[in-house]
Amino acid sequence: MASEDGSGGNSPGQAAPAPPEWNPAPAAGSGCGDVEEDPQFQCCVCLDLLYKPVVIACGHMSCFWCVHKAMHVIRESHCAVCRQPYKHFPSICQLLHHLLIKLEPVEYKRREKEVLEDEKRVDTYSPQIIEFLNFRSNNCEIDGENRPEESNSQSSAEHLKKVKLEDVSCALCKELLYQPAVLNCGHVYCMSCLSSLDDGALECKVCGGLHPGDVPNVCLDLDHFIEEYFPVEYDLKREKIQLLKGECNIKGSSSGTSSTKEGGGRASKKENFALKDDDLSDVHIGVGCDSCGVYPIRGKRYRCKDCTELIGFDLCEECYNTKSKLPGRFNQHHTPDHRMELDNSALLHRIMRLQGIHEEGPGGVIIGEFVAPGAVVHVIPDDLEELEDMGEEDQLL
Amino acid sequence: MVDVSRVQKELTECNRDREVSGVSIALHDGSTINHLTGTIAGPLGTPYEGGTFVIDIRLPGGYPFEPPKMQFITKVWHPNISSQNGAICLDILKDQWSPALTLKTALLSLQALLSAPAPDDPQDAVVAQQYLRDYSTFSATARYWTEAFAKSTSTGMEEKVQKLVEMGFPEDMVRSVLKSVNGDENMALEKLCSG
Repeated sequence: MASEDGSGGNSPGQAAPAPPEWNPAPAAGSGCGDVEEDPQFQCCVCLDLLYKPVVIACGHMSCFWCVHKAMHVIRESHCAVCRQPYKHFPSICQLLHHLLIKLEPVEYKRREKEVLEDEKRVDTYSPQIIEFLNFRSNNCEIDGENRPEESNSQSSAEHLKKVKLEDVSCALCKELLYQPAVLNCGHVYCMSCLSSLDDGALECKVCGGLHPGDVPNVCLDLDHFIEEYFPVEYDLKREKIQLLKGECNIKGSSSGTSSTKEGGGRASKKENFALKDDDLSDVHIGVGCDSCGVYPIRGKRYRCKDCTELIGFDLCEECYNTKSKLPGRFNQHHTPDHRMELDNSALLHRIMRLQGIHEEGPGGVIIGEFVAPGAVVHVIPDDLEELEDMGEEDQLL
Repeated sequence: MVDVSRVQKELTECNRDREVSGVSIALHDGSTINHLTGTIAGPLGTPYEGGTFVIDIRLPGGYPFEPPKMQFITKVWHPNISSQNGAICLDILKDQWSPALTLKTALLSLQALLSAPAPDDPQDAVVAQQYLRDYSTFSATARYWTEAFAKSTSTGMEEKVQKLVEMGFPEDMVRSVLKSVNGDENMALEKLCSG
């Protein structure tokens, strides 16, 4: 939402027409009340129901756009809640996304509409969630069932029907999640299952994505939800895990030490990264990697020549070399046969170039967008000509 | 563009328990959501006890991803608040801002700042010096300023508002006009009548 006004036109005149457009939402009343009754899945940034939730490595979650806008365009970002630093924009947690569709079908639909309107205004879209393993067919049914009965005062018994055990199961053990942790790719595991994954790199068993940095923290909001929602099953799982842990400890307390080793191993890779933090000359301001999510990209950056979307498609050096086939983070229509080119214009060059363009005219717009933290700043001068040719293309729905 | 729906939620949420928290927020003049007025009650057991402090709040376009701009309208004698213009030295209003903070938490932080000054990182060097060297004088001055500036306008404020509202003026407007003339009822009436 912050981005489209990068033109600097935040005049009161512009602000005035906005309220009537927004007022109906709170006035829709009962819906909003619902969210307040159940602040469990409230986004700490927009204070609304989470939409396309993203879980950061520290275990805190926000909406897709709320995280993206809150990320720092030049340096590492900090969690809005606990201030733990992070460098990667995680993928949407589909498990949570589908959970919310079931829990709050009406509210979630409202959020979808609102967000889509905002996305249309800035012509940049969040990923459409198409595939979701075994959850998908299941979810469609339930979604259809729920729509007719749009009463907001559903009893907890009815709530129980909405979410099934398999909706909140671990990607590895396939059982109910216990102390769930979410990887950068958005897949959810029990903490105990994560530590059983081989040391070295933390690789997702579902998508094969490498998780950057340490083992993520438990997502407590999800954990509490599961504990409340499936108290019996949760207790059983807890006992089971504790039993297993006990056995491990007798064998020689391997689990604890191995996990710290893992952490150390992975962290070292990123440490030299942190050391370079003061030198910002290799930063690609506001440009993130569409594969691993690192934001901003430092060092070499590869840019797609064929993606026409406003936000572009970029890869960091590592992801470029691993030939990642993941789709973009913003619903780009990138395909493996697109041509990629090295874009070496990092911070210093970029500023010089921007200033050059500024004198000619249209750059003012870019600089406004360029500076505002939280803005979608993927526009770079080179893109301008392409954009003009492109016109407005409806890429979504 | 300011996230209007979030600000609206914040206002409702903050004013819901204003009696308990001692902080409240209102639109400054009713027409724009970018300009607000906050009030905080002086914390008990401090020289600010009993005072009501008015804070001017302006929301930048990037809010909540940028911190709100806050400034004391009420004159305060405090090491971290300018005695000249009310500018505030508080990290969460600068580089330590986080979008998970709200106007309410920011105002509560200001209230906490009143309770626990940080003279080592002063906004007003004179006040900070006095706080460190001669606490009793500092305390007396702060208490005097509270009496002189944070009470006179607020005592009977509600009554004045009530009176003007009864005359048929909208409450938002009455509050903002009263604020702009520092609580002078007659001037406020004059202003309201002139349009």
